[in-house]
Amino acid sequence: MIKSNNIDYICLRAKKARLSNILNLQLAHFLFLLSILSIIGGIFIIGYYHLHYGYFLISFGLLSLILGSWAQWDLNVLPVEDQTLSGRLSRDILANLKKTDNSPKKVFSSLAKNWQSYFLINHLYLSPKLIESILSDAPQDLEPALKKAGLVASSNPSQQIEVGDLLVGIFLTSQPLINIIIQAKLNIKDIEEINEWLKRILLMANNKKQNFGGVARDWSFGFTNFLNHFAYNISQEIIDHGSNFGWLTTSKEVLNIEAALANGANAIAIIGPPGIGKTSRVYALAQRLIEGKTNNKVAYHQIMQLDASTTLANAQSSGALENIFNRIVGEASRAGHVILFLDDAELFFNQGPGSFNASAILQPIIQSRAVQFIMAFTPENYQHIRSNNSSLANLITPVLLSELNENEVMNILEDSATGIEHSNQCLITYDALKTAYRLSGRYNDQEAYPGKAIKLLNQSIAFSKDKIINSLSVESAIEQTIGVKVSSAEPAEASSLLHLEDQIHQRMINQTEAVKAVSAALRRARAGIANPKRPIGSFLFLGPTGVGKTELAKAIASIYFGSIDSIIRLDMSEYQQVKDIDRLLSTGNDTNSSLLMSVRHQPFSVILFDEIEKANPNILNLLLQLLDEGQLTDASGRSASFKDSIIIATSNAGAEAIRNQITQGKQLIDFKEELTNQLIEKNIFKSELLNRFDDIVLFRPLNQDELAQVVRLLINEINSNLEHQNITIQLSDKAITKIVQLGSDQRYGARPMRRALQKGVEDNIAKRILTGEAQPGSQIVLDEQDIDL
Amino acid sequence: MLALALFSWWYGSGWGYVSKKILTTISRISESFSVKLLLNSLFDPWHRITTETGRGLAAHFQAAIDNTISRLVGLVVRIFVLISALLLTVILLIIGAIQLILWPLIPPAIVVCIILGFTK
Repeated sequence: MIKSNNIDYICLRAKKARLSNILNLQLAHFLFLLSILSIIGGIFIIGYYHLHYGYFLISFGLLSLILGSWAQWDLNVLPVEDQTLSGRLSRDILANLKKTDNSPKKVFSSLAKNWQSYFLINHLYLSPKLIESILSDAPQDLEPALKKAGLVASSNPSQQIEVGDLLVGIFLTSQPLINIIIQAKLNIKDIEEINEWLKRILLMANNKKQNFGGVARDWSFGFTNFLNHFAYNISQEIIDHGSNFGWLTTSKEVLNIEAALANGANAIAIIGPPGIGKTSRVYALAQRLIEGKTNNKVAYHQIMQLDASTTLANAQSSGALENIFNRIVGEASRAGHVILFLDDAELFFNQGPGSFNASAILQPIIQSRAVQFIMAFTPENYQHIRSNNSSLANLITPVLLSELNENEVMNILEDSATGIEHSNQCLITYDALKTAYRLSGRYNDQEAYPGKAIKLLNQSIAFSKDKIINSLSVESAIEQTIGVKVSSAEPAEASSLLHLEDQIHQRMINQTEAVKAVSAALRRARAGIANPKRPIGSFLFLGPTGVGKTELAKAIASIYFGSIDSIIRLDMSEYQQVKDIDRLLSTGNDTNSSLLMSVRHQPFSVILFDEIEKANPNILNLLLQLLDEGQLTDASGRSASFKDSIIIATSNAGAEAIRNQITQGKQLIDFKEELTNQLIEKNIFKSELLNRFDDIVLFRPLNQDELAQVVRLLINEINSNLEHQNITIQLSDKAITKIVQLGSDQRYGARPMRRALQKGVEDNIAKRILTGEAQPGSQIVLDEQDIDL
Repeated sequence: MLALALFSWWYGSGWGYVSKKILTTISRISESFSVKLLLNSLFDPWHRITTETGRGLAAHFQAAIDNTISRLVGLVVRIFVLISALLLTVILLIIGAIQLILWPLIPPAIVVCIILGFTK
C-alpha cells in the first residue's frame, strides 16, 4: 500500500476518483443515450430480422447502462466514506493527485485549474505562477497542510475536504506565502473568509430546486387585476427568478415580522436607516411565505409593493386617491393572500413633492384589518408619524432593525459581489470588499451598512481595470464621488508631501515652526498613521494680529484639500452667549451657516475657529468632544464627522507676551511652555482644551525684512491678476521699503500692507491703464517716488 | 478491483440510490400538483369568485346558487387535478417497482444475452 502524508493513493476511493477522469459526466450521459439506442436497436433486429446478433447489441446497451449509472451516481459523486483523509478528500482532489511524492507545490499545480482554485486565487488577487514558485516541494510539508485542511473542512455538513479547504491548508502552512498575502494587505483570516464565501456558493449550487407550492397554489385566492396596475409583485419575482436570500430568511427580524403577520397585526413598520436592508428583509420574508415554510395562516401569501408614484399620478384629487386606495384594498382583501408593502412609506404620509399625506385614507383601512401592511420607515420618518399622528402610530407594530456586525456585513458584501461579478462579468478581489467596507464606513455617514458598502462596490465598477475591481478601483470611486484623497500617495504626490514646507513658504513668510508642525501632521494623515477616529490634525495658533495665522490656514486648505474655498471659518466673537450653541449645532434648513451643516456639506475642509478666546466657555467645551471623538451630535442625535477635517483655532491671547519675549531676543521654543501655563493661570483657556490640540503653535511678529518679503508676495498676486492684460509690474527695493514703513503697524503686523499696496501701487497702475500709458506687453517699474500714499 | 467495486455498488448503495430517487420523484409529484393544498381547500370557491348577499329572498337565493356553482367549479377542477396526480403517482410507482425488480437482473441479463447471441 502506497501511503504517505496519511493519504492512501491506491485505495479504492482514490482509484474510483481517477477513473472518474475518464468516466466523466459527459461520457455518462453519452452512455445512457447509447444504452437506449442499443437496447431498442437490439430488440428491433431480433424482432424484425430474427437475427440473434441483436442479443449482442442488447448486452452492449445494458453494459452501457450499468457503466453510465455507476459513473453518474457513484464515481462523480464519491461521498465521504470514513473519517480518514482518503475517505474525506473530495473527488476533485483525489482524481488529480499524483500517486507518489506529492508536495504542497505539486498538489497546488494539479489543482490550479479547478474552478475552486480560480475562485480562491483570483479573489486573493495573486498570480498562480507566483504561488507555485513560493510553495515548498518537500513531501513532508504536505502533512501539516492536510491536517489544517481537515480542520478547515470540519465545518462542512458532510466533513468532505473540498479543493478550497485543501488550498487554504496549503496556503496557511506556508510562511513565505503568508508573507506575500500580508504584503497584499490581506491576512490569514481573509483566506479562510474567502473559503467560507466559496462554501456558501457550493451550498447554493447543491441546493435542490425551490418549490413554490405547485400548480394549485393560488386557486383558493382571488384575482388582483386592478392591484397589479399599481403594485409590483415581489413574490412573483422570486417565483420567476428563484432568488435566494440565504440567512436573511431566518433572521430574527424576518421571523418577528412573520410572527406578527400570523398573529393578525394590521400593519408592521420596519424601521431602520437607509441602506440597512429593510427592502431585502421584505424580499426574504416574501421568499419564506411563497415557499410555504411558514405559519399556515400566512403560507403562500404574496407581498405586493405599492408604487407611490403610479398611485399618486393616477389620482387627480384626494377623492380620486381615496377611490383608488379603496379599490386596491378591496381587491387585496377579497384575494385573501395579499400583503401590501409600502417602501419609503413616508411618501404616503407626508405632504411634499412626489408624496401625498394619505393618513386620513389609510388609517381607517389599517384599522379595518381588511388587508395587512408592511411599511418601511427611516427612524426620523417614523418619529415624525409618532409625533404627528399618534393614533395611526398606535395601529402599527414597529420592528426595529439593528445595524449588522462586521462579519455579517462582510458576508452580505461577499454574496452581493457574486451577483455583481455575474451581472457585470468582472472580478471583485477580496481587498476591494474590505476597502469598500472600510471606506464606506468612514466616508458615508448618511447610510447604514450593508447598503452603503454595496453602493460603493457598484460605483467602483466604473473604475475597474481589465474588468478587475480591486482596492484601487474602490479608492478611485470614493475619491471621484466625494473628492477626498484616500489612496496611498503616488510618487509625485509623495514628493510633494515631503516638500510641503517649501510649498507653504511660497505662500507665506517665515513662521517656520508653525509650518513644520502643520506639515508633519499632514504627512502623518496621508501616510495613514494618524488616528482615524480624530480630526486629521488640530492646532491652536497663538500670536499677534497680521503675522500669517489665517494665511497658513488658507495655504493648508489650498494645498491639502485642493482649493482655497475648502475652509469653514467661524468668527468666535459671534458665539459669546450660551444660546449661540444652538446656532452652531443647528441642522435646520433655515440655518445653512451652522457648523454641522457646513461640515456635512463639506467634510474635507480646514475648520478655522477665529479668535477662539472670545467664545462662550460652554462652546469651548463642545470643542473638547470635537477634538476627542472627531464628531459632534445635534439635538436629534445625528452626528457630523470632523474626522476628515483639519481643526485650526487662532487666538491673539498672549500676543503681547510673545512680542515682549521676541524683542528681548528669545526664541519661540524657549517660552512656549511658560506662555501656555500663563494662559491657563489667567483662565483664558482650560488645560483640558489645550491638551487636546495636536500642537500649540506660536507665531512671532514679522521683522522689516519679512514684511518686505510679504510685499513681494502681494506684488506677485497683483501680477497674476494682470496676467490676462499682459502687463507686469516691478517694485524697486526702495519702493518696497517705503510700503513696509507706511503699511506696517506694530499692533496689526502685515494686515495694513494690502491696503497700502492698494493705494500706492494698484491705484497708480489703474490710472496708467486707463490713460493708455500701460499697454499690453508693458513692464512697469515703480520707484520710491511713484508710491504715493 | 474496480469491477468488484462496480458490482458491490450495483447491488448495494446503487440499488438503494435508485429506490430513493423513485421516492423523491413521487414526492415531487405531490408538491407539483399541490396535493396538500388541494385537499385542504377542496370545497373552497374557485378563486374566491363569490356573490355578496343582497337584500331580499331572491338575492339570497341567487347568491347561494352563484356561490355553490363557484364551489362546484373549484371542486371539479381540484378533483380532476387530484386524480391526475394520483394516476401519475400510480404509474410512477409501477415503473419504479419494475425498475427496482429489473435492477439486480441487469448484470446477469448481459451474460444471458451474450450466451443467446452465440447459441441462437
